[in-house]
Amino acid sequence: MTIATSTELICFLVLSTVIVLGSLGVVLLENIVYSAFMLGGVFMAVAGLYLLLNASFVAAAQVLVYVGAVNVLIIFAIMLVNKREELKPIKGLRLRRIVSGAVCIGLLVLLVRVAIITPWPLPGPIAIGEEATARIGEHLFTDYLLPFELASVLLLMAMIGAIVLARRDVYDSELLAGDDMKEGLIEQTPTPLLVDKSSP
Amino acid sequence: MPEMGALLLVTQTSTAPGELLNLALNAGAVAPEGCVLIAMLGTLLVDLIGEQTAARWAPPICYLGLGSALILLALQWDAPLEPSFLGAFLADKLAIAFRAVVALSTLLSLLISWRYAKQSGSPAGEYAAILLAATLGAMLLCGATDLVSVFVSLETLSVASYLLSGYMKTDARSSEAALKYLLVGSAAAAVFLYGASLLYGISGTTSLASIGISLSNSPTPLAALALVFILSTVAFKIAAVPFHQWTPDVYEGSPTPVVAFLSVGSKAAGFALALRLLVGCFGAFDTQWKLLFTVLAILSMTLGNVVALAQTSMKRMLAYSSIGQAGFVMIGLVCGTEDGFAAMVLYMAAYLFMNLGAFACVILFSIRTGSDRISDYAGLYQKDPLITLGLSLCLLSLGGIPPMIGFFGKIYLFFAGWADHQYLLVVVGLITSVISIYYYISVIKMMVVKEPKEASEVVKTYPPIQWSNVGMPSLRFALLGCVVFTAIGGILSNPLFQWANNTVIGTPLLQQAIAMSNHQSLG
Repeated sequence: MTIATSTELICFLVLSTVIVLGSLGVVLLENIVYSAFMLGGVFMAVAGLYLLLNASFVAAAQVLVYVGAVNVLIIFAIMLVNKREELKPIKGLRLRRIVSGAVCIGLLVLLVRVAIITPWPLPGPIAIGEEATARIGEHLFTDYLLPFELASVLLLMAMIGAIVLARRDVYDSELLAGDDMKEGLIEQTPTPLLVDKSSP
Repeated sequence: MPEMGALLLVTQTSTAPGELLNLALNAGAVAPEGCVLIAMLGTLLVDLIGEQTAARWAPPICYLGLGSALILLALQWDAPLEPSFLGAFLADKLAIAFRAVVALSTLLSLLISWRYAKQSGSPAGEYAAILLAATLGAMLLCGATDLVSVFVSLETLSVASYLLSGYMKTDARSSEAALKYLLVGSAAAAVFLYGASLLYGISGTTSLASIGISLSNSPTPLAALALVFILSTVAFKIAAVPFHQWTPDVYEGSPTPVVAFLSVGSKAAGFALALRLLVGCFGAFDTQWKLLFTVLAILSMTLGNVVALAQTSMKRMLAYSSIGQAGFVMIGLVCGTEDGFAAMVLYMAAYLFMNLGAFACVILFSIRTGSDRISDYAGLYQKDPLITLGLSLCLLSLGGIPPMIGFFGKIYLFFAGWADHQYLLVVVGLITSVISIYYYISVIKMMVVKEPKEASEVVKTYPPIQWSNVGMPSLRFALLGCVVFTAIGGILSNPLFQWANNTVIGTPLLQQAIAMSNHQSLG
């Protein structure tokens, strides 16, 4: 065993341990803030696995998207709804935990079994390593050009939609009429078109 | 043969750097989508100027974009078939037909939505832009032949639909509909992605045709798992039972013009996706997916039509009826014969006009009265003969009464099913059609038979009919167009039959599947 392979093995073992323990922590810890931070750690460790596989582009994307966006968003959401609330204890919690644990383990066994008996096309093509990012760029502008451009339309539309849903409606006519607008009362309340006649 | 996938992979990656850049993209195939995109950007730009300008200029820009997209699609019909974007998109006749259905459904929904948007006080410019983005996604979905483009266009369509269904912010039901749709839709997208990643893992390629070859060479149990995942997403998109739970709530809460688009445009894209994925990619699992779709079709027809009987809201009734109609269309998919596919295409085109006609009438009624309860339609023929006539014709056509166009579409579907020995499906279809006629006719009875003194309060205080308001002329145009086509189209349906048959004949994907099933039945 050369020093390169043993280093790789050690890195793999460390990263896998972090991932497994971290994911268990995400699920089992009582405090949701700890869970969120654990999730960030798991994402980082997965990015490390990608680096080990010589996929630096995927690793960078993983850090940017999952740690930089998804995880931060989760923490924001937790901060915004930070309400201390005493929850009622659920009946038969132990039984429920056992059942859901059994279901999860069953799924795991199924997936492992399928992964073992499937004839995967191995060994795959030789990894191109450092060239990968350039090659991905090339693909993005040739055979994946259509989805790539469409994704920009998707993002534009999602942004506009988010603004439309989140903004307060102020109409030009009101601004021109010089109506007195208090900051809190700008929200327009036009009567809904379909009147619910069932409720008196 | 596991080497097959590896071989494909090697040939895919062994192209020299830069070589890909020299290949022709053949991007002219997406010119219709380009028109829609330009119209969308134009709408956004005029919306920046101000509320009044947007209300004035957004409609003509949208008509221009969608109209030129339709003309370009017509010009593509006889063009030689070449894959574009190196296999990410294929503008075959199937794609052209379904893209035309989608574009036309958007055009008609836009025509009927201006007045509705104005009256409900929601800004029209962004509404049109988001609807055009949904159209763009749906049109690309009809022709996408690569897992990545399928997923991105599916997401464009879905995200735009979530936004549209929550567009009436002041109505709590609209927000509820958007939230439900978002949650269920995201779960469906995740399931699709999982199935797609399994397919990529098995075959090592994202092109649907190559995946089909690799699956028929080595059908693994994993591929069956991927089939189930992908099929559930398709079933979600076409709202087949038991993946339909979102439909009634979303249809009831969303703005009605949006529902009109969702029930036709989005569904047509879903069926195109089903054809591409199941026929093109899972040809090796023919018997399995046909069995699953038989079950889905029977459940959809039965549940959709039976539950529609009990509805009191017009929109909810149309929601359940659309579930039932999707069940009828699935008969054509299960047949897999030339007649079956042609009947599918024909019925989608017929469904476009009759369903949008019905929605135009429902919207007009709700604009004038603010109600969509079926009991409020009582005695309407006294006050508004146009709505009564239009709604009656469209509902009769949906129920399959001759000589409306829906009758010919339905008879063709049942004929194709019977010829392919799908007796169970056809018998269930016939019985549920009769059930559906009952609830369609009961609406007509409510409008026509009631005496003036039995009319509902809403009808008694019916406002005087006037067409001069903003957005009303376009609504009248769409309504009359749909109703006339529904009524006359049945008598003049021969060109439509030919069009549907040509669609199937001119699509290599479907021809292959037909040839394969003929071969199987002979051997």
